[in-house]
Amino acid sequence: MDFTLPGESKMMVKAAREFTEREIDPIIPTIEKDDELPDDLLGKFAKAKMLGMMIPKEYGGIGSSALNIILIAEELAKSGSAAPFIMAMNNSVAETIYYWGSEEVRKRFIPLLCDGSYYATMAFTEPGTGSDPTAVTTTAAPDGDSYILNGAKRFITMGHKKGYGIFYAKDETGRITAFIVDKGSEGYTWSKPWALMGLAGQGLVDVFLKDVRVPVRNILGEKSKGFHILLRWIAGERIQQMAFMVGMGQACLDESLKFANERMVRARPMTAMQGFQWMLAEMHASIEACRWWTYRVACKQDEGGDFQVDSAALKLFVVPTIQEVARKALQIHGSYGYCKDYKIERLYRTIAHAGITASSTEIQKTLVGSALSRSKEG
Amino acid sequence: MNGIVCIKQVPETGDIRWNPETGALIREGASGVLNRNDKHAIEAALQLREMHGGSITAISMGPPQADESLREALGMGVDGAVLLSDPCFAGADTLATSYALSAAIQRIARFDLILCGKETSDGMTAQVGPQLAELLNLPQLTYATGISVHGHSVRITQKLDGGLRVVETSMPALITVEPHSNQPRIPAMDSIMEAYRDKEVQAWSLEDLGQGGEHFGLKGSPTTTRRVYRKEVTRGTVTLLKGEPDEMARALIATLKGKGLL
Repeated sequence: MDFTLPGESKMMVKAAREFTEREIDPIIPTIEKDDELPDDLLGKFAKAKMLGMMIPKEYGGIGSSALNIILIAEELAKSGSAAPFIMAMNNSVAETIYYWGSEEVRKRFIPLLCDGSYYATMAFTEPGTGSDPTAVTTTAAPDGDSYILNGAKRFITMGHKKGYGIFYAKDETGRITAFIVDKGSEGYTWSKPWALMGLAGQGLVDVFLKDVRVPVRNILGEKSKGFHILLRWIAGERIQQMAFMVGMGQACLDESLKFANERMVRARPMTAMQGFQWMLAEMHASIEACRWWTYRVACKQDEGGDFQVDSAALKLFVVPTIQEVARKALQIHGSYGYCKDYKIERLYRTIAHAGITASSTEIQKTLVGSALSRSKEG
Repeated sequence: MNGIVCIKQVPETGDIRWNPETGALIREGASGVLNRNDKHAIEAALQLREMHGGSITAISMGPPQADESLREALGMGVDGAVLLSDPCFAGADTLATSYALSAAIQRIARFDLILCGKETSDGMTAQVGPQLAELLNLPQLTYATGISVHGHSVRITQKLDGGLRVVETSMPALITVEPHSNQPRIPAMDSIMEAYRDKEVQAWSLEDLGQGGEHFGLKGSPTTTRRVYRKEVTRGTVTLLKGEPDEMARALIATLKGKGLL
């Protein structure tokens, strides 16, 4: 068991740090003000070869690993902004298409997600359902060599930006099929983005499908097996999301240390006081535990085995742990932490999202608990 | 246009130790980073290659861990890398460093330009570039903020205290590159993978240079460090000037003159 990161991975982290300092940190005030990511950001991720990280070169990727993606994600997330989420979405959707798609589907869709021409989207949630496939109301009716999609999808990241999305709909058998939908299709419309507590610029919109024609050849994987595709995608997305949490947790600690070292109380810096030292120590230990478990689950994804239960258990642990780190960071900052002038205010709001999106923390309990029960039965 | 870029791995700020007897920095085991100024030299070399073709070789002298900085240069896009590493090279001052680099560059033989950063963040002497030019008997163009190649000549815009001047010479030549003359590229992820998986850092020892040891390392260093110490930082007092702006300006000038700062 070797916990040493290879030189290649360490340099990727360094490059991601420089990218964050040069391309993300300076634009955060504008993102916060406009609630929109600049149009050229996805292209910058592409130029840095951060899209299609797990995709082989022949499809426009670089053939790296899940571990390297989450190392980069951790670093980018220290900005506390939504900017890395578009990187994660293009990566995870491209990987999903690569894993489930035919050769023809791979060649048609993946390169445009890797070179930053197109924004990726994943669309399952609807106004009436978040995690229950039986409650999906979007329909796909066969019509010659196409399907006609009708319905509405909610909270769809970058659903309004040029590109492709994987949309889940009930086919004529009543089961869920995954379709790759061109977001420029006739009948495809969207709402204005939801105004969120944090993650300014993430671009969550509602999408409306009215008689949207999708060719049969755009079905991803097998017909009526779409829910498996969704579950595997969420499992991978969760690991990236937890890497974001680790990065933001580390940023909370870094900001707290900086603040507590400078802030004098009774002629001594806060860091000289045992009460604050204990808080900082607990934050550090919590982040380390989350970090190494996240790396472990990413390695399991790279090993090629089933990692869905592992990533669910990971989320179950990381979300409340890092949220507690953020709470402590806010306490250390006192009233300053509640001011928008301080980074901790943004980090706190951003960290709040993780227990809700890409399936809730409570759902993870069900996933892990039922898996444990099954293994006991077996 | 074939270029050589001389780079150095320097200690990361906050991780600096030195030998109390020799005063030399202890590089083994210290976390190192690629000297920031050298990134500007690499970037300048890469831009010239993009315009004129050819290849760029990065060269460094240091302990085995300096391999990381050469990999970073490879990640930025240089074509080849050479690490001069031998216990005999340890403790080198700028002259012995320049000598080792010159011996290695003579072995590379075919080049049009040598590019160096202005200075390193640990020594801050800015001597290696000019000394290297002298040892190789090359024209040297220093403090370059802009570089262009015209046939067999190279022209730079040179930053001087009072302004800029344009200087030109025939190639081969050596150029030291000013920081802020360009924005060094961030290595792309695929380039980093190539740097570690597909490209090679050649390791050369004293034996590879085919010379005796008298000009290298501590033996070849006429400079000796008399003392190394931490500078004590004393806190001064803050004087707040009051009054109308012109009064405050006059008071400030008088204060600065009184302290011999103006």
